[in-house]
Amino acid sequence: MNFIDFSFYKIIVILISSYFIVRQLYKFLNREQYQSFIKFIATIIVWGGVIVFISVPGLSHFISEKLGLGKNLNTLIFTGFILVFILIFKLISIIEKVEKNITDIVRKEALREVKNEKS
Amino acid sequence: MKNDTYVLIPVFNEEEVLENIITEIKKEGYSNIIVVDDGSTDNTYEVVKKQKVIVLRHLLNRGKGAAIKTGFEAAKLLKAEIIITVDGDGQHDPKDIKKLVKKIDEGYDVVLGFRRMKLDSMPLIKIVYNYIANLSTWAIYGFWTCDSQSGIRGYSKKAISVINTKNDGYEYESEVLREIAWHKLKSVEVPINVFYTKYSRSKKHKQSLSNGIRTVLKMIITS
Repeated sequence: MNFIDFSFYKIIVILISSYFIVRQLYKFLNREQYQSFIKFIATIIVWGGVIVFISVPGLSHFISEKLGLGKNLNTLIFTGFILVFILIFKLISIIEKVEKNITDIVRKEALREVKNEKS
Repeated sequence: MKNDTYVLIPVFNEEEVLENIITEIKKEGYSNIIVVDDGSTDNTYEVVKKQKVIVLRHLLNRGKGAAIKTGFEAAKLLKAEIIITVDGDGQHDPKDIKKLVKKIDEGYDVVLGFRRMKLDSMPLIKIVYNYIANLSTWAIYGFWTCDSQSGIRGYSKKAISVINTKNDGYEYESEVLREIAWHKLKSVEVPINVFYTKYSRSKKHKQSLSNGIRTVLKMIITS
């Protein structure tokens, strides 16, 4: 495994990833609104993962072989994409549902006076 | 003038022009006016409250589609036979309301006002946006119309009872066309006047490219 190979783009990616981790850590420690432990851990896993994979290029091949995919790294990447798409789709569904619920509540409140007058 | 005809105006931050619009509509003989204030952050609600109209207030901004649906629900409770929707930025001519009501009286379920896509009456960018919107609506919902984004429309009692839209934003305008096709409603298009004033052109959120792309994407997702 080739552990250290710091080309320019890798340094940029590591800096960006570190920024997101530090920012999330700062928000979490300051107990900012809507921050949770799960969100903090998720940030560490995602951006920490980026730092690990970019610092250790051989790691993805190593995992790929351990998973029985052999040298076929494309399969692992493809699976990752599928998972991301499923996650995005799920998130969109959840957001749509929440948006609909908010609209329903807002509408119910707006119509209350008319309903009261009619009943 | 029939008492069961309601003019529905969805508004968001229209304090400058709303009073005048309501006065003009009343001059045309329509006193049943429902204004849905879609979470305005200016004095729109206070302005409308002084008028003799039915005011419904969204506590949060939910979009034009959501505001119109709220107005539809109110009109149903008020036993409306006809609903005419008019935009709240003063670009529609209240004199056109009569044309739409006449068509409903002739037996049509939905009357769609269409703007003349000519450079002397409409900004070029608007014409381009409208053609793209018409094409997108046709491709996604299978309904061709000269002006899929026109806000001045008339609905019969049958249309009011069957049209059930789900979208909250501007994609609502196109979704109605899908409902017309699905429920086999009898529809007709009538030419309308439109005034592109300095004020209506200043409403950037309505005509931005990003808003247009978002609208088409939502149409695809929810189709």
